[in-house]
Amino acid sequence: MIFVAVGTQFPFDRLIRSVDEWVGQHQMAGIAQIAGGEYLPQHLRWERFMTTDTFNQHLQAASLIISHAGMGNIITALENRKPIIVMNRQHALGEHRNDHQLDGLAWMGKLSGVYTATSQDELYALLERQHDLQAATQTPGARRQTLVDFIDQAIRFPKQGGKPA
Amino acid sequence: MNTTLPKLLAISSPGGHWIQLTRLCQGLEGRYHIVYAMPGDLFGTASTLKGKKVYSVTDVSADDKWKLIPCALQVLYVLLKERPQAILSTGAAPGFVAVWLGSLLGIRTIWVDSIANVKQISRAGRLAQKRADVFLTQWEHLSNGQDILFKGAVL
Repeated sequence: MIFVAVGTQFPFDRLIRSVDEWVGQHQMAGIAQIAGGEYLPQHLRWERFMTTDTFNQHLQAASLIISHAGMGNIITALENRKPIIVMNRQHALGEHRNDHQLDGLAWMGKLSGVYTATSQDELYALLERQHDLQAATQTPGARRQTLVDFIDQAIRFPKQGGKPA
Repeated sequence: MNTTLPKLLAISSPGGHWIQLTRLCQGLEGRYHIVYAMPGDLFGTASTLKGKKVYSVTDVSADDKWKLIPCALQVLYVLLKERPQAILSTGAAPGFVAVWLGSLLGIRTIWVDSIANVKQISRAGRLAQKRADVFLTQWEHLSNGQDILFKGAVL
């Protein structure tokens, strides 16, 4: 099953429509979280918003996640060892306030378990070979721990790092 | 609730900011008594945060800046009530509000700019930078080694 989610801030009809038409052609099942979108899926089951717990249940039940290029969904997919395809919102199409999702796409694609698409064609190419897409091999570790430890030290010992308290 | 631990206020916008913040806080739970704040009534509190104190504050976006006023009043209430020793935020507007008010109240403030900001520091981050005691980016190339530091990332 496919779970497609566009975040809570803006709709992303282009992505929802693309996935909906693909699952319709391929007789696949899926669930969509569509926010305030105007396009209502014909093939996917859908909800506009979900509680965090419902969202996590759908994500865990899915074999593949498709998302806007937002960090929340990427982190959640990686933590649950699900392969995720992300497509960036485009500022020129009114899909976000700026193009930071495009800026992020290059490094996102380097993350284990994350696949990127900038267009419907690239998205469909990934969906055609979805059974080859691998989940992240490991959960985030060392880089997060060093950041957490630095924050801890920065709170406790104001002289180290940053301005003196 | 362990009152002997130093108190930390963790505050951010919902979505990706919040996911990053809670992942950082997972590593800080046990070392701090963490109180949370976010604009979050809409999506419920995740079961992983059950038992934690999560304040709801008004969200602010670029389209409705006037909401900074109720947001600031709510954050001020939380700060005066909880008297945290430090504030940690990943952004955006509610975090910036907390950093400014916190610095006025003499609370130690730490900003971690979202990992989504690859090319430049976020807008809210640039505003918070004037006041934050410690300002962190999650990208080495955005660090200047002085007042913008890179010390790791959530991913």
